[in-house]
Amino acid sequence: MAPEATAAGAAREPASWKEMMAVYFARRLRDGERIVSGNHTEISYGAAMLAQLGHAPNLRIQFGGTGWLCNLVGREVWGIPRTSTEYRILDWAEAYVDHHEMFLFYGAAGGGRDYYEHPERYADSNRWFFADHFFVGGLQVDYRGNVNLIGIGEGTDFTMRGPGTVGINDIVSVRDVSIFMTAHDTKRFVEQVDYVSTMGPAGWREKGFRGNGPQRIVSPRGVFDFTGPGMTARLRGVFPGHTEQEIAEHTGFPVERSGQFAEIAPPTAGELTRLRSIDREGVLRA
Amino acid sequence: MWKTDESGRRVVLASAAEVAGRVEDGMTIVLGGFITANHPMPIVRELVRRRVRDLTVIGAATAGLDVDLLIGAGCVRKLIAPYVGAELYTPIGHCFRRAAERGELEIWESSEYIMYAGLQARAMGQDFVAWQGGIGTSIPELNPDLKVFESPLGDGKEYIAVPAIGADWGFFHVGVADCYGNAQHLGARFGDRLMARAADRVAVCAEKVVPNEVIRRDPMRTTIPYADAVVEAPYGSHPYSSHGCYGEDAAHIRAYVAASEAYRKGDEAAFEAYLAEWIDGPEDHAAYLDKVGTRTLLELERAYAGMTSGRPLREVGAHGSGGMR
Repeated sequence: MAPEATAAGAAREPASWKEMMAVYFARRLRDGERIVSGNHTEISYGAAMLAQLGHAPNLRIQFGGTGWLCNLVGREVWGIPRTSTEYRILDWAEAYVDHHEMFLFYGAAGGGRDYYEHPERYADSNRWFFADHFFVGGLQVDYRGNVNLIGIGEGTDFTMRGPGTVGINDIVSVRDVSIFMTAHDTKRFVEQVDYVSTMGPAGWREKGFRGNGPQRIVSPRGVFDFTGPGMTARLRGVFPGHTEQEIAEHTGFPVERSGQFAEIAPPTAGELTRLRSIDREGVLRA
Repeated sequence: MWKTDESGRRVVLASAAEVAGRVEDGMTIVLGGFITANHPMPIVRELVRRRVRDLTVIGAATAGLDVDLLIGAGCVRKLIAPYVGAELYTPIGHCFRRAAERGELEIWESSEYIMYAGLQARAMGQDFVAWQGGIGTSIPELNPDLKVFESPLGDGKEYIAVPAIGADWGFFHVGVADCYGNAQHLGARFGDRLMARAADRVAVCAEKVVPNEVIRRDPMRTTIPYADAVVEAPYGSHPYSSHGCYGEDAAHIRAYVAASEAYRKGDEAAFEAYLAEWIDGPEDHAAYLDKVGTRTLLELERAYAGMTSGRPLREVGAHGSGGMR
């Protein structure tokens, strides 16, 4: 059986929570935008690949720490990378940048805040720089949008040591940071994180960072934006099969609706078929 | 004091044991590669076999289970790396987590670019490099070496002064090198070029030692010139991948993750068994490869060659270096 036929058949199975999140992220990516996909992020890899092979063929993607700039249009897609050093990513690459030199690409066109306030003024630029989208995961997130990857504990006494901040705090020049949480409960959605790996949007503004910082928290249950007082979290949407009541019960801070609250439309058959033709090894359904 | 060839040029070929023998307790080493790729494992295994103590280990910017292994074997006093793990294999290195939670490891809290900024300062001969990323986070609170200061440009913004960090030795894994220490990567280079610049001495493990003429065919590809030691180490990144040559050994990595996870949960025998079988048992790199087995190594090569466009290995080799095969 051809892989496409398998994928089309499989699209009749309901979307997994990872697939829902990937499709949600893919819909946020516009053609021509620039994106860096970080580590341990099969969901963000899937989202970027889905968008580039669908509505955004000019999406500029850097995959993980290997510094390969990739365009998958017209290439055979074997699946979603297992790690960001996955050597098979080479098959889609058109350029390579040493990892430490990736940081030379943090400066957006215009040099200041202008790019982030008026991205349309730079729509004619075909250049690669790292300014539109980034995805960060966390052990904890709080209602200000602070993210913690360092651990649980106090000072250097860790009751649980996390993997480390990786590079998420280095990124102070991104328009739209999406925080993705792979589980949603009161241990992870907290009033105040134990450690700050990267700040929420008010912190970015206060410290004079060029980018806008976190704009969404996305979990398997739903989505928050930062339209509350002082750029705090508000419930923006609920994934199919989940409820506001359930989200409130599993969140460690008060949950109130955003002015733009809406139920999130489930993946269309077309989106799911395409995503499953990309995710041949089924990592989003594992 | 130097070994030279008949032309009088210094020759730096060495064994992994000779290189590891020059690493003393308490030294600082920087390790190249990235997560599951291009780690100089024959040197790492020699350091573990010798149970070198109190090392400060730098890197990689996303450190893999090579560093986790050194921590688990009790070789590391201080760690300078913003991540230790292997992504989908294990999001956090278990030995790293165990040591951190037991207070047995000093962590120089950092991030990718804070680490690179320190290496860059050393490479450029500066006392510090200024970096904005990390302002407003817990990193400067957890790492007193990082000094927050107000920009002298007068806009009131805060920056971090990241002090220079250097290493006694840097260890890297490349595709090919010559006897004079000229090394060429055959795929991604990760942060290796900067890390090598910040180290006082450098040793590379090379899949193959090639004649100087091969290096001269494409000097643009030389990524680390004049290493202090070149260790010929075919399949030297196993169980991790070697870009341009072979893929990672997923089954072996999963076995390591299982042993280290058991160790974190209190089963010290499981980790000791891994060390006995894979580190202390084989007497050298060739004996280690015997144990891995020819069939497995060939499969890992085939996996790399079999990228779905069907690009054959010789073409991948040509893309890297005409002299590889």
